Amino acid sequence: MTFVADLTEQLINGVTLGMVYVLLAAGLSIIFGVMDVINFSHGELFALGAYFALSISGALGVGVGFWTALVVAPLLVGIVGVAIERFTIRPLYGRNPLYHILLTFGLVLIINDLIKLVWGTQQRNLGVPGYLSQPVGVAGIQVSLYNYFMIVFAGALALGIYLFLERTKYGMIVRAGSQDRQMVRNVGIDIDKYYTLVFGLGAALAAVGGIVLGGYQSISTGMGNSVIIPAFIIVVLGGLGSFRGAVFGGLLVGIIRTITRTYGGTEFGEVAGITLSLPDLEGLTIFLLMIAVLLVKPQGLFGNPEFQDEGGEEGDLLTGADGGVFTDSVRMKLGAAAVGLLAIAPFAILLTGNDYYIILLNRVLIMAIFALSLDIVMGYTGLVPLGHTMFYGVGAYVAALVMIHYTSSFIIALFGAIVICALIAWIVGSLSIRVSGVYFAMITLAFAELFYNAVFKFQFTGGSDGLLGWDTFFGIAGIGAELNGINLLIAGFEITPNIVFYYTALILAVASLLFARRFMNAPFGSVLQSISEAEERAEFIGYDVTKYKRRAFVISGGMAGMAGGLLAVKPSTFIISPDQTLAWIHSGEVIVMTLLGGMGTLFGPMIGAGVFIGAEDILSSYTEQWRLVIGTIFVLFVLFVPRGLVSIPSLLVQRRQSAESDSPSVGFDESEVNTHD
Amino acid sequence: MTETVLETNGLTKRFGELTAVDHVDLEVEKGEFRSVIGPNGAGKTTTFNLITGALIPSEGTVRFNGTDITNMPPHERVHHGVGRSFQITNVFGGLTVRENVRLAAQSMYSDEISRREAMFRDKDSFDELTDRTTEILDKIGLRDRADVHADTLAYGDQRRLEIGLVLATDPELVMLDEPTAGMSSEETHETMTLISDVLSDQSLMLIEHDIDLVMRVSDRVTVLTRGQELASGTPEDIATNEDVRDAYLGGARDE
Repeated sequence: MTFVADLTEQLINGVTLGMVYVLLAAGLSIIFGVMDVINFSHGELFALGAYFALSISGALGVGVGFWTALVVAPLLVGIVGVAIERFTIRPLYGRNPLYHILLTFGLVLIINDLIKLVWGTQQRNLGVPGYLSQPVGVAGIQVSLYNYFMIVFAGALALGIYLFLERTKYGMIVRAGSQDRQMVRNVGIDIDKYYTLVFGLGAALAAVGGIVLGGYQSISTGMGNSVIIPAFIIVVLGGLGSFRGAVFGGLLVGIIRTITRTYGGTEFGEVAGITLSLPDLEGLTIFLLMIAVLLVKPQGLFGNPEFQDEGGEEGDLLTGADGGVFTDSVRMKLGAAAVGLLAIAPFAILLTGNDYYIILLNRVLIMAIFALSLDIVMGYTGLVPLGHTMFYGVGAYVAALVMIHYTSSFIIALFGAIVICALIAWIVGSLSIRVSGVYFAMITLAFAELFYNAVFKFQFTGGSDGLLGWDTFFGIAGIGAELNGINLLIAGFEITPNIVFYYTALILAVASLLFARRFMNAPFGSVLQSISEAEERAEFIGYDVTKYKRRAFVISGGMAGMAGGLLAVKPSTFIISPDQTLAWIHSGEVIVMTLLGGMGTLFGPMIGAGVFIGAEDILSSYTEQWRLVIGTIFVLFVLFVPRGLVSIPSLLVQRRQSAESDSPSVGFDESEVNTHD
Repeated sequence: MTETVLETNGLTKRFGELTAVDHVDLEVEKGEFRSVIGPNGAGKTTTFNLITGALIPSEGTVRFNGTDITNMPPHERVHHGVGRSFQITNVFGGLTVRENVRLAAQSMYSDEISRREAMFRDKDSFDELTDRTTEILDKIGLRDRADVHADTLAYGDQRRLEIGLVLATDPELVMLDEPTAGMSSEETHETMTLISDVLSDQSLMLIEHDIDLVMRVSDRVTVLTRGQELASGTPEDIATNEDVRDAYLGGARDE
């Protein structure tokens, strides 16, 4: 086959994939534009469409079933979308958009586990009518008819949506709503009803995307996860809230992905003795592209430049910081008691003769430091890094690489992890903090995905296998001992490497907390708090807000890097792999821990880490579907206890007081929001 | 002999097709109480934002004490001596009144805090800062309420705190954006008294659409219409100015 024909064929494949992205990104983008909701569960709605289609086509047979599914499944998913909007997202309007991210992240866990529960985890195939899968040859280019069907069908649908938005009264209201919601309300239109419509429509579009892709490739429980990040990239690339941007971005990313996959690493020949080849950058290109676009045009290719100035309806982040019922001294005593308990915990555990709980506690301590690091930015500057796991992952990789190649001293390995991660945080922070909250969230996500994809590509990071095979020296410059060789007997207790690590991690966790508390009570931290209270005011009493945020992000990044480094040092860790450290789900998990505990309190997220890992451990021993349970608990927390576990004592007191006084029972949740408007 | 504190030259701001501020030249002298008035859409708030740094002009310059501050970010302007108050009271609600003032004072003091101290020294252990904070609290009469959260203050007290925050940044020129918006005449009187008491050493620039108020308090008045300067002068000059009368009685006034 000639090169041109081959390229054309790949272009058609690229456009085919691109159309799926268009359907996904269009819904995401409109939902964001109109409702300010960043919908992480969009990918799962996409998968849900495919699975519904699978059942329908299974029941009716391939021929009729496929066409019926194409109509009915999106409607069903649309109804699911309407229900999601009505019962979970609606109560959160007026709160900071972060809560939507958190909520929809919980929904990802729930929907994904429900899919596994109903349809199982096996890869499935959606039957496509035989006449659609015939290969068609046009001018020597052999492509399945299904490709053309996808392009035409999705294209017609996208055009229909475009006409709906541009030409109809409803579309006009939706577009007006994405410009200025309050104004639409002022002219007497109940915009809230349209939110339901928009969310349902977005969900249905995603479902169509899932069905057509399901017929093209196959259906698996990971399909939502694999498209959601590219879909976000497209939305940001094209401009948040822009339909045209979603179409352009979707096609662009579809083509780029297909082309880089096909031609990455191929050599084209030689010119003047130099081999011309495309670098093998599949997976990296779109993230690099997004970062490049945002640097030049922060609002995206088709975005509205005034967009960043909006944000009038944004509510504050609800921190657990104030309104506690305990005085500071009580809190200090509780903290000291907790540390004391943790200090003697290994002895109690050793009496049971089982190392397992030490290993579990080691994980808790590492995640506690990671969650604390997140709280420094999220709870005190109002920035939400959606890719915080980049520091955790890079820290783990750096520490492991140091121990493999340079020295096995864990002190130097941790130091290296901290320095490299702080440096990365400085760079990422410099590029993104000045723009706006949503972009910061997205750019951090893009960087995390960039690192995730990069470690797959490079030899020295061990590709998808990850890194393994290093020794950890517990000490520095020859003074100390091999961590795995430690085995002491003290007063009848066997001191294992796990216990040595436990105390090291405990000391580092307590030291990190004390360090964070120290600077929060020093001039630097007081400015951070003023920024989280009223950013504009902080600027106008003379603080360089961007610089303070960036510094907080650097500290946070370094601390997260240390947590990652500890993961590599931990005696029970034998391998550092990309999925274990850099996958975006970990960024979500650490946000869950932080919110669960109570952000803006420093110690709360650490408790949250313990509760999360404890719950995961207990639940996973009872049920495969532990994510479903955790997701549900999490969604309930976002809705009803947004200030986290640490706010429960004061909530109980509040409850009792309002029960005593005869006032009508107002949901505490609502009153919280009102007092912080 | 008078000294010019603030000087704008050909100050212009365009938003797409709309020219909100069109070649405005202003000069504010040291110690002067200058007001800028005009009907809605005259470009008052845009002018304000160009001077405080919330917006960057499309054309023209802003000079403060001879220094070109046209492209300076707001926080640097504050350090040069341009303070501002907010129309909607904008204080750090979740922090105590004392901490609010202390933060503003700390900003002016930050050169004397080393990096180490900024990270590790207790924020309340800087004697000079504590003294300055107390001094401001006395001036705005909120010392006895210093330990309550700012968002629990009554509206009038929040306005006092707001002025206190500006004062604590030790400004030479204070920009006031409709400080009495939405107030009863009594509250307006109190607020203006507070401003003239507390900010007596500063040059003031007041953005306002209440003509009567402006005529009472200002040394000089600038009238803007459609982004351009219509007239400048003493309140008496302005009161008798034909153009101003036309602009206001020509139906543009929206009250």
